Amino acid sequence: MTASSTRLLRRFSAAAAGLALVAPLASGAQTQDSVDLKLSLILEGIYFNELREGHRDPAGFGGHDHGDDHGHGDGYDEGFNMGHSELVIEGRLGEFMEGVLNLGITDSDLAVEEAYLRTRSLPAGFQIKAGKFFSDVGYINNSHPHSWDFVDRPLVNEYLFGDHGLQEIGVQATWLAPTRTYTRLGLELLQGETSGVANYRGAQDDVEGTARILEDTEGPRLITAFAKFAPDLGVDHALQYGISGGYARRFQETEEHSSRYEDWNGTAWFAGLDAIYKYDAGGNYGHGNWRLQSEYFYRVSDVDRRDVSFDGLTVSNEQSFKNNQDGIYLQGVYGFAPRWEAGLRAEALGLSNEIGRGAGDSLDTSYRYSAMVTFRPIEPVFLRAQLNHNDFAEEDGRERGLDFMLQLNVALGAHGAHRF
Amino acid sequence: MSRHIPGAVLALILLVLLPVTPALAQPLQVVASTPSLGMLARAVGDDQVQVRVLAPADRDPHYLDARPSYMAQLRRADLLLEIGAGLEEGWLPAAVRGAANPAINSGRPGHFRAADHLTLRASITVEGPNLGHVHGEGNPHFNLDPLRMASLAVALGERLGELRPDEAGIIRARAAEVATGLRTHAEALAATVKPGQGFVAYHEDLDYLTEWLPVQGLGYLEPVPGLPPTARHLSALVDGLQGRDGRVLHAVYQPARGGEFLQRHLGWPVHRVSLEPPMDAELEDYLRLMETWVATFERS
Repeated sequence: MTASSTRLLRRFSAAAAGLALVAPLASGAQTQDSVDLKLSLILEGIYFNELREGHRDPAGFGGHDHGDDHGHGDGYDEGFNMGHSELVIEGRLGEFMEGVLNLGITDSDLAVEEAYLRTRSLPAGFQIKAGKFFSDVGYINNSHPHSWDFVDRPLVNEYLFGDHGLQEIGVQATWLAPTRTYTRLGLELLQGETSGVANYRGAQDDVEGTARILEDTEGPRLITAFAKFAPDLGVDHALQYGISGGYARRFQETEEHSSRYEDWNGTAWFAGLDAIYKYDAGGNYGHGNWRLQSEYFYRVSDVDRRDVSFDGLTVSNEQSFKNNQDGIYLQGVYGFAPRWEAGLRAEALGLSNEIGRGAGDSLDTSYRYSAMVTFRPIEPVFLRAQLNHNDFAEEDGRERGLDFMLQLNVALGAHGAHRF
Repeated sequence: MSRHIPGAVLALILLVLLPVTPALAQPLQVVASTPSLGMLARAVGDDQVQVRVLAPADRDPHYLDARPSYMAQLRRADLLLEIGAGLEEGWLPAAVRGAANPAINSGRPGHFRAADHLTLRASITVEGPNLGHVHGEGNPHFNLDPLRMASLAVALGERLGELRPDEAGIIRARAAEVATGLRTHAEALAATVKPGQGFVAYHEDLDYLTEWLPVQGLGYLEPVPGLPPTARHLSALVDGLQGRDGRVLHAVYQPARGGEFLQRHLGWPVHRVSLEPPMDAELEDYLRLMETWVATFERS
């Protein structure tokens, strides 16, 4: 599509929307044209090898079934895996709004990762986004796997939020302040279904006349807020830091034991800090560049528990308790040669790991250390090798494992954005 | 902890918002994606504009990030100047999206896309394998052509005149002056160059030199645009150019190795040139930059 026809199309669609927002442009014949859609396809393959078998579920985080069977980030099969591919379609309705559809594709299912509309013409620095999207809390949460520096999601994002991070259906409003320092404030009203902070099961049928504690709560059930700041540090340095938090007015869990249902019904909240620093050395193909990235999140679930036996005759374990847990990671990536990067990541999950369930327990912290090398022969293609050393706490004791991953990722189609 | 967080947020917000000064009647806030465009805006707009440039002169404008600081600058812009034709595709649309400033949306007077006002050379990226770096609209590196920059100065003068109707006459007159200055200098420099000389460039970013100087491009160090030189391609290049005279030109941010190979095997000089004037450049800086390009060729 030529530039002038694109312009005409935008002009036409804006006019069709009844908006006289578009400025007069050079006149020309109106032409019928295809819709301005951009398409891109991300294809990924992962080779996985467990060099030393270790425990998969860090203490305090894996014991309770979250009702999501997607498998956690390192739930790869030994050998070849399809990984996480994406089909992304973006389109514009003139300058009025734009829409994004992002389909995540694994070998067994096709899921809508994101499907949202975003305004483009609200005044005074406001923007509204509505649909299904990754929340803007923290740093890595709103990014797709192909833009990560490591193969897998940080533990804190995976276990405090969910296998897909904090991914929800809802509305987001943001405001960018007219300041020299980038200052963006945002508020999100979300349906509330993310397993780690807003798990929702809804009311369950009575068991032989005995009511269960789980109750229906209408959405939206989760509200989040975030603020991001980025001073202008000149051409070589860039820094952004953020603070975010959220409150879920319903947080529920349910698990079937051998003879009873265990139900939790309550609320949850979380808060965290994030920071990213980038150094641009001005070398060839990223040579000499640095990136440092860190996030910390703290989560509290505050629930009432009541177990009901399968025959409905026994109600047990009635208690109210809180779980206080957190996680942090710090990673650094260095461009040690043109088109080559190497990175290290250190993670801790459950520095605070206070589980109120039962008699209460203070569990140990789990750690993971990762090292990676990435080669980017041309911009849309990268090949990455990564080693993960898992040092996970169990209910009693620790177990250490070593994983190796080889990732091939190719972006086809429209030029992807170099997001910050 | 929960009680402390709202307080911390409030404190941070206040801290950041405090230095804001109320908007006064002030010059047009212009944000230019590249230093050359910033130079044109300063030359044409003079005291009617305040110009900020996003891309540094010594960085490849294909490969920047959509930095938050760019968004903060675009948020307050009255006018965005971009090259277009895919040059800033990787970062500028994302930065504009993040800026939440409808005044610079495409189609508005506050959005000036240089490629829309010029006829571009065909880009070699549309031939051969698609490696994610395709300029279907044409070669976007026209800032190396002072004749096109002159046409652009006139188009920019029109636009600034629309945005500042009271000053339109003065602005248009100044745009014409800038255009004349660029054309005159280009002609004078072209006359000093011995015709028929050839050069090999790293990327297609120096092609526009052949539009105003009596010189010709003989090839590229990249086997295909976006792909670094390979041994096989360089050998083929050397074989094809054996016995010819010429020189290798490459941008300051491009690797020297491919050029050195040609230097060894053909005896050609290698010139590392700046493609952009400094970020705060005036017209004179651009004219001097033209002279550095011309200095890589023999005088007539």
